[in-house]
Amino acid sequence: MKQELLLSQKKEVGLNLDPRTKLALLVAMAVFILTGAYQTPMHYILAAVPFILLIMAHKWGNALLYALLFCGGLSLEQFALPHLSGVPGYLIVAAANILLHFLPGIVMGYFVVTTTTVSEFVAAMERLHLPKQITIPMSVMFRFFPTVMEEWGAIGDAMHMRGIKWRGSKASVMLEYRLVPMMMCSVKIGEELSAASLTRGLGGPVKRTNICKIGFHIQDILLLLLCLSILAAQIFSVFGGLNL
Amino acid sequence: MNRLQGKDFINIGIFTAIYFVIIFAVGMIGFIPIFIPLISVLVPLIGGIPMMLYFSKIKKFGMLTITGVLVGLLMLLTGMGYWCIFTGFLFGLIADFMLKAANYKKAWSEILTYGVYSVWTVGAFIPIIVTRDAYYEKLLSGFGQEYADTLMGYMPDWILPVLAIACFVSGIAGGVIGRKIFKKHFERAGIV
Repeated sequence: MKQELLLSQKKEVGLNLDPRTKLALLVAMAVFILTGAYQTPMHYILAAVPFILLIMAHKWGNALLYALLFCGGLSLEQFALPHLSGVPGYLIVAAANILLHFLPGIVMGYFVVTTTTVSEFVAAMERLHLPKQITIPMSVMFRFFPTVMEEWGAIGDAMHMRGIKWRGSKASVMLEYRLVPMMMCSVKIGEELSAASLTRGLGGPVKRTNICKIGFHIQDILLLLLCLSILAAQIFSVFGGLNL
Repeated sequence: MNRLQGKDFINIGIFTAIYFVIIFAVGMIGFIPIFIPLISVLVPLIGGIPMMLYFSKIKKFGMLTITGVLVGLLMLLTGMGYWCIFTGFLFGLIADFMLKAANYKKAWSEILTYGVYSVWTVGAFIPIIVTRDAYYEKLLSGFGQEYADTLMGYMPDWILPVLAIACFVSGIAGGVIGRKIFKKHFERAGIV
């Protein structure tokens, strides 16, 4: 079975983080690393967080892979950039940059998604007092993304079986052949999802209860402090040139 | 029964997911600097196909606003900056008003509304223009001198309104194409 985005059942392993902390970390990754440059050493600490989290969740293989890719990208950027120029130089630089910028976010997203259940996610958002106009579509979306990807893959396989490839025909026809079946399947699945969720009381008039243990512990406070300090470091480096 | 119900929220989630997967795939060409402005054309164009199906199911106010905000949030999480949340909200809201004014019926109103809605895509370009210097710095440290200069050369300050118009026009085109595909396939299959 394909990996679900947002589990339906939880395995008790490693560090137990409140889903809100994970969300905060994810946003921190997105804001500071994805859209910024590595300005202060604090950014490197932030990038190391997914690595530590993966280790604590006993996902050794993934942690090692992340570390290797990240250090690889780092060394490429530091050592190769001054020496190369032109097309190969540009390609390598682009690759290194993509690695450094997107990897922490992706890995953090992977961590969040494989250690949080849909129930916990919805409960956390309710605690944040986000309106249900936002939380319900969000949880449906996350539940739905892997379905869409799976359909895309299935359609690709079906096309291959019939000998219809990407090359040779006009791009517009290819698009139609791929997108339309995917959407039809997705909508049908969506309707089933809808029925299942409504049966379970999603969107009902009463406040939703759950048995997830959510609450802030010491590890959450530490990680949240880390996020705040990154924010502070960012503000400092913008205003003062203080070298932290 | 005009307030949004659970069923509507689920629909919003489903179609936002489909829409986002498609435009994210399309947006990947943004890795190549020359193609970044092209995003303003391709995203509305190809996004029209799922969106016209979505539009035909929208019968209540507010669904597009929520979609706009959610797509904006996803844009933030995938590195396109936070402006898309504002543009998504703004143009989603305008689109909601437009659909309501047309009473959720006429097909051409859906196409027009989608054109307007598509302008949210400029939100991805705003950081490049508005915080031009900071963006240049980031490019310089990350990508090197050549990339930074090439990209900045393609995006002078006056290009923002041009991109917005491009989004609108491509949105109309995307809406027309989406509508054609919609009639050809979905109505026949009964998904409507």
